[in-house]
Formats: sequence, structure tokens, C-alpha cells
Amino acid sequence: MSELVAKGVTVRFGGLIAVDDATLRVPEREIVGLIGPNGAGKTTLFNAICGFIEPVRGAIELDGNDITKLAPSRRARLGIGRTFQKLELFHRMTVLDNLLVAAESAESKLDIASDLLHLPRRPREEKRCEDIARKVMDELDLAWAADRRSADLPVGTGRMLELARALCTNPKILLLDEPSSGLDTNETRAFGQTLQRINADHGIGILLVEHDMDLVMEVCRQIYVLDFGRMIAHGTPAEVAAEPSVRSAYLGEEDDDAPASPSARG
Amino acid sequence: MDVLLSTILIGLASGSVYALAATGLVLTFKTTRVLNLGYGAIAVFTTFIYWQFSVNYRWPLWLSAGIVVLVIAPAIGFFLDSQLFRRIEDQPIVISLMATVGIIVLLQGVIYKIWKSDTRTVPSLFPQGSVKIVGGATLGVDQLMIIGVAFGGAALLALMLRYTRLGVGFRAVVDNRPVAGLMALNTNFISGLAWALGTSIAALTGILIAPRLLLDPIILPFFIISFILASAMVGYLQSLPLAFAGGLLLGVIESIAARYGPSSGSGRSLGRATPFFMVTILLLAAPRRLRLLATGGSFVVKTRELAAHASRNVRLSVATVFFALLAFIPLVVSSISWNRSLATGMIQAIVFLSLVILTGFSGQISLGTTAFMGTAAFTAAHIATDLGWSSWAALLLGSLAAVPAGALIGVIAVRLQGLYLAMLTLAFAFMAQELFFGNSSISGREGSVPLPRPSGFHSDVRFYYLALIALVVSAVVAANLRSGRTGRVLAAIRDSETATRSLGISVTKYKVLIFSLSAFMCAAAGILASMQKESAARLDFVAYYSMIYLTIAIVGGLFHIGGAVAAGLFFGLFQQVFAGHPAILDLQLIFFGLGATVALAKNPEGMFGEMRRGGNAVLRVFGNGKRRRPEPVPVAGGQE
Repeated sequence: MSELVAKGVTVRFGGLIAVDDATLRVPEREIVGLIGPNGAGKTTLFNAICGFIEPVRGAIELDGNDITKLAPSRRARLGIGRTFQKLELFHRMTVLDNLLVAAESAESKLDIASDLLHLPRRPREEKRCEDIARKVMDELDLAWAADRRSADLPVGTGRMLELARALCTNPKILLLDEPSSGLDTNETRAFGQTLQRINADHGIGILLVEHDMDLVMEVCRQIYVLDFGRMIAHGTPAEVAAEPSVRSAYLGEEDDDAPASPSARG
Repeated sequence: MDVLLSTILIGLASGSVYALAATGLVLTFKTTRVLNLGYGAIAVFTTFIYWQFSVNYRWPLWLSAGIVVLVIAPAIGFFLDSQLFRRIEDQPIVISLMATVGIIVLLQGVIYKIWKSDTRTVPSLFPQGSVKIVGGATLGVDQLMIIGVAFGGAALLALMLRYTRLGVGFRAVVDNRPVAGLMALNTNFISGLAWALGTSIAALTGILIAPRLLLDPIILPFFIISFILASAMVGYLQSLPLAFAGGLLLGVIESIAARYGPSSGSGRSLGRATPFFMVTILLLAAPRRLRLLATGGSFVVKTRELAAHASRNVRLSVATVFFALLAFIPLVVSSISWNRSLATGMIQAIVFLSLVILTGFSGQISLGTTAFMGTAAFTAAHIATDLGWSSWAALLLGSLAAVPAGALIGVIAVRLQGLYLAMLTLAFAFMAQELFFGNSSISGREGSVPLPRPSGFHSDVRFYYLALIALVVSAVVAANLRSGRTGRVLAAIRDSETATRSLGISVTKYKVLIFSLSAFMCAAAGILASMQKESAARLDFVAYYSMIYLTIAIVGGLFHIGGAVAAGLFFGLFQQVFAGHPAILDLQLIFFGLGATVALAKNPEGMFGEMRRGGNAVLRVFGNGKRRRPEPVPVAGGQE
């Protein structure tokens, strides 16, 4: 059982309440969407879940254990993987090295002394972790870029690389922060298919913070809607789409097209 | 009461000079992103010119000062900006910081060359005599006028920034230089003007301060820069008014401490350490918003291409052949002085290696090198001399003694980064110099403590091999570090701490590790260097050398083990090669200063980067050095 729960999370920036008493659940093996207009507090809630922002109230639980007080790196070791809205690649390193860092963090049993003295276990452990990295690379079609410096990759490949890097840590829950920003329609569709494949193959839960309604509607089984820091709706895609408060908050009163405008997000 | 009042007023007099100078420093920094550590050196250099005019040529004082402050100093500023700093403006702050260290060395060299190293007394611009003021306190007329000039200068500056078109231009450039450029502002002219104003104020500072002190090229530049830096730090290098207030505050503190504090030797060194205490406290207390300013960001040099490594085998064989050659040298070269210089160079190379793993591989920075080296060397010397333990034990325990200090800096490095971390570690180096190494119970009455060489390595040739072994071990560890898991994590932290954390890696743990390892390495080198001379000496661990070490490491090539080795051997051998040419040795400071600044302006990857590119080209010609990695790629924009 791997279930992520955020209970009544409230985040404050000075006098501003960015997230107000928000609750959401990411059940095992499920893709859950979190949507909302610009500035609704999606990324803030997301960061509170990962531990990069401390909530003033509320709790984050993983598999029933309270992890609210843990540092981001501890949460990651417990199985929370994430990507970033603004790419955070190790940009001067190759694609393979990006993945190796992740795989070694989760899997390597190499201690620092054996590493610095190049003892025989070092190549053994390196081989093992490289195999993991290459497997993920094949899975996400990144093998062609293995020796490229990640700063030189196009945005779409960079997003794949972040996804691959998170996968290399073998997470239980994957948190994706606006993965479609900077992607065109085709790339977004392909990304959605990849997500579903990963979800099925690895059996991991995914929380998708997204701007692109088409993507969310297509891949998510449940959707939470955040507006002005408050959770205003929750349900299946169909239910959420039918909800009048969502339409007014997210789509705009009279506006009947324009579900997605990924460009405006800063 | 009136004693206290006049103490405060005296403090305000010198404080107003620091205040004006700090304003100049911050103005230049904010406009051009260059923190000029050479500020004190420029002040002293221009004051020497003032001395030349007023005392030697007997020109009128005001004319001499006018020419220096209004013509010569601004010209120097314009020149430095257009010829040096504008060329490296895209590079991270650390590069320009080290280039300003190059200015210190260069100007010191020029001063030695022209005026020798004697100290001079400088005539005051203002008449002597004292006036009675309220409360019955007295104050020198000159001090009163200094206060007037400093406040007047600051007021003029403030009015200029506030009300003139030029002032608006300044503020636009400070806010956003590229955008200011798009608004049809001549940003180059403004950055040149910022430098000119800065150097002009520096000259004024020197001319106002020097009559109270002695003009000399060794102590005064650091005295000036330490007080000005501390003043500027009150506004965290960001605020002009706070920098001004900081100067006044520091002046008053200094004056009160001098009047009421202990007047013994330790009291004096405490006084000299005061600005560094202030820097340390201010930085440790820095609010998060300030710590995260751009000044605290990544400062790793943008290299032009992905390291196009030759294959592991090629590198391994080049290294093996090179070290084997080094091992043969004592067998064929019988000159003791050559062997000694080489051994010195190899030990220096270990110091540079400690910086390569810290800064080149991990993107961290430390200007505290001499603090580690000195701590280790004196610990080792006392273990060997006082306790009578073997020199081997002294070497090991002494090196370990620097590790907790390194670990502490590692912990601090989680909070503070970039320029602020550089300033903090520099403050550590100065405090270690003043409070520990200057203390006779630590460094002995003559400033040195005997430290014998380890048994079995007493002869110079034997000691040569000890140095070689130490260098090879350090180089192998550094190479393993770079190629292995630890190095990958450190490089990852360098590129994105946030992403590294998100992968379950403790950034604190690795920062502590790399600072400890680097401290251990340069500590061992500090002990070996002392052992070679058979004594640990205070003068070998002057904080200034920390800056020089990092500058040489950058010039040598901060990103390659070979760069450290090349830099070490080069500077170890320099003296030896030119031993018969005193004229060149006289000029070596100038050469080095010029070399450092020019090399950095031309190629921030350093000498070794250039050499290796050449080497790779040769290998390609012979066809067996096929590039394993893709063709050179331009650095993607906006990554820094």
C-alpha cells in the first residue's frame, strides 16, 4: 500500500494565505490531477507535500506515517519522487550521469571510502546502477541522448529526463509539476501516454499538477480543483467538468473555449 | 564624559572616511557586479602618487590631491573597467573577484618597483590644530574637515543618484543591465563611470587616511579593505546608506576600542580582527532574503565545451609517465636547490588540488586555505616539539586538526553561498592570522615553531619523494572523486541543490564531506611545506595568501587535476628558473598580477584548459584520440 495524503494543509507567505486547508489523496496506482487557475496555490501545495515549503497547519502522510516534519531528502528516500515546473536538470552533466546520480542515491551500497580509493566494489556497484539507469533510459526513449549534456536538450527531452531521473530513485509516488509547460500539443499527448505506461508498468501513484486540461482529463481518474488556495471541487473528470464552480473559477464565466493556456504561468 | 565624546568624534572622523569608501565600493559592486578587493591597493597606489607629487616634486598639496583624485584615479578606473572587467562580465562573480586580487598583486609589485618597500609619511591636506567643541571636547581641525569632506562627498553622490539623468541611468543599470541597455542607455559608459567614481573615492580615502597612519604597500591595503568591506557588509553589499552608516559605526567602535581596550599586543590584533568579527556576525545573521540574492548563487565558470575527455586510458598513461618522470628527476638532477623547488612546487600543487576538488569539481568556495594550513602546521609543530611525538604522528594529527574547521565551514555553506561564503571564509583566514598565528603562545616568540621532517625522510632527496608520494596520493583521490559517485553528487549539487534534494540526497552531508576533505588536503600540504623548511612560521599563513592560492589555482585551471599540478610546479620553479636574474625576480609580482588578470580575462578555464585543448588536437592528428563526447557546444543561455 502506498498512499499519499495531504490533510488540511495551510501555507502562509507573510500575510497571504497561499493554500487554505487543502486536503487531497493520491491512492495507490492511481493518477490524480490537481488543477486550478494561475496563482491558485497548486505549486505551493505541491512544494509543501515534497517538503520544500513548511505548512503552518495540516499534515502530510505517506502510507499512514506522518512525514510533515521531514526534510525533502528524507521524504524522497521514503519514496516521493518529483519533477519541476522550471527544469532543474544537472545541466552540465550528461543525461546518463543525471540518471546515475538518482539511481545511486536509491540503490548504491557504495561507501565514500571505497569510492575515493576505487576499491573493487566500486565498479561492481557502478555497473549495477548504470544498468538501472539504462533500463529507465530505454523505457523513456532517452538512450540516443545518453552522452549529451543535458543543458543542450530540447525542453521536451528535458522533461522526459526529469521524469526518468525521478523514476531511477524507484519512487512509490511521483509528483509532476506542470510537465506539459513548454511542450507542443503532440509532445503533450505523447507525454500523457508515457505517464499512463509508467503508471501501469511500475504501479506507482502519480500526482499531476497541470495546466493543460486535455492532458488532465485524459489521464487522470480523479481531479482536485484548487482556487485561491481552497479546494473547490473533487471528482472524476466528468464530474469536475460539470461542476459550475469549476467552470467559473477555472474556465472563466462566459469563456467557453480556451481550457488551456500554459504560457501565462510564471 | 568629554573624553568619551571626543573619542566618539575621532571615531566619526575616521569612520566618515570608511563610510565614504564603503559607499564607493558598493556603488561599483552594484553597478558592475565586481567586488573590488583591490580597493585598498588602489587607494594606497594613488596615495603613493600623491606623495610623489606633493613631497617629491613639492607641488602644492591641493593641486597634487586634485590631480590624483580627479584625473589619475578615474583614469585607472575607466581603464580597468574597459580593458579587464567588461571582458569577464559574463563570468561568475568569483572570477572577477580573483581578478581584483590580481590587481592587488600587480599594484603591490608596481609600488615595490617604483618606491621600494619603505614606509612614507604623507602630509595632511588640512591644517593642524584643534578646536574646542560643545561639551568641552577637543577635536583636530583636520579631523573636522575630513568629516566635512566625507559627508560632502556622500551628499553629492546621493544628489547625483537621486536627481540627475546620469543618476537615473545608474539606478537603471543596477536594476537590470540588459534592459537598461535596451532603453538606449550607454551601459558601458555607466559601468566605466562607476569604476571611475569608485577608484576616485578610493584615492580620496587613501589621501585622507594615510596622514594618520604610515603609507606602506604591505599592511595598509589590507587594513583599508578590511575596514571598508566590513562597513559595506552592514548593508550586505546592497545598500549605500547602510554602507555609509556601517563605516561610521566601525570608526566609532575602532576609536572606543583603541581608547578603552587593552593596549597590549593581543589587544592590537583584536583591534585588527574587529572588522572580520563584524563580517562574520553579519553574514551568519544574514536574513534568508539576502542570502538568496544573486550574489549567493552559482559561480562556476561557464566552460565553452563539455569536457572533451581523452579516454581514461590515455589520461592514465599521460599521468603515469608524468609522475614517473618526476620520480626520475632526483636521479639525474643533482642540484639540491632544483630538487627543493620541485618539492615545494609539488606541495603547492596539493594545496591547489584541494581547491580544484572544492571549487572546480563541487562549485563551493573557500578563501580560508591559510587558516587550515596554519592550524594544521602549528598543531603538528607543537605535537612534535612540545610533546616530542614522532613527525609522522604530527603529520597525521595535524592534518586531522583542520577537519573539524572544514566541517564547520561545510555546515555554514548550506546557508551561505557564493560571494558571501567567500567573504566569510576570508574573514576566518584573517581572524586565524590575527588571533591564533599572531599569538606568541601559538607561533612562538620569533613567529615560528620548529617542525622536524619525519624519520627516514630527512635528506632533501628523500623529502622530495615524500612530497611526490603525497602528491600522487592526493591526485589519485581527486581523480577517483571526480569520476565516482561522490563526484557525481557534488557536481549535481553544483548544478541544482533543489533537484539533488528531491532525489533523496542530503546536501549538508556532502558539503561537510567536501569541505572536510579539502581542508584535510591543504592541511597536510601546510604541514609538509613547514616540514620542508623544518619550522612552522606565522608569515607562511598570512590570510592574503589564501586569495593568491585561489587566484593561481584559477589561472592554472580550476577544473582539472592537471591544472593544479601544472600551477604548483610552475610557481615552484619560477623562482628557481630566474634565480640568476634579479631583475625578473623583482618584477615577478607584476608578472604574476598581470598574468592572473589577463589570463582570467582571456580564458577562465585557465592554462591547463588551453594546454589540454592543444593536447587533444595533437591526439586527433595522430588519430587515436577520437573524441568520445560530442562536438563542442555553445553554452545554453540563461543557465547560470
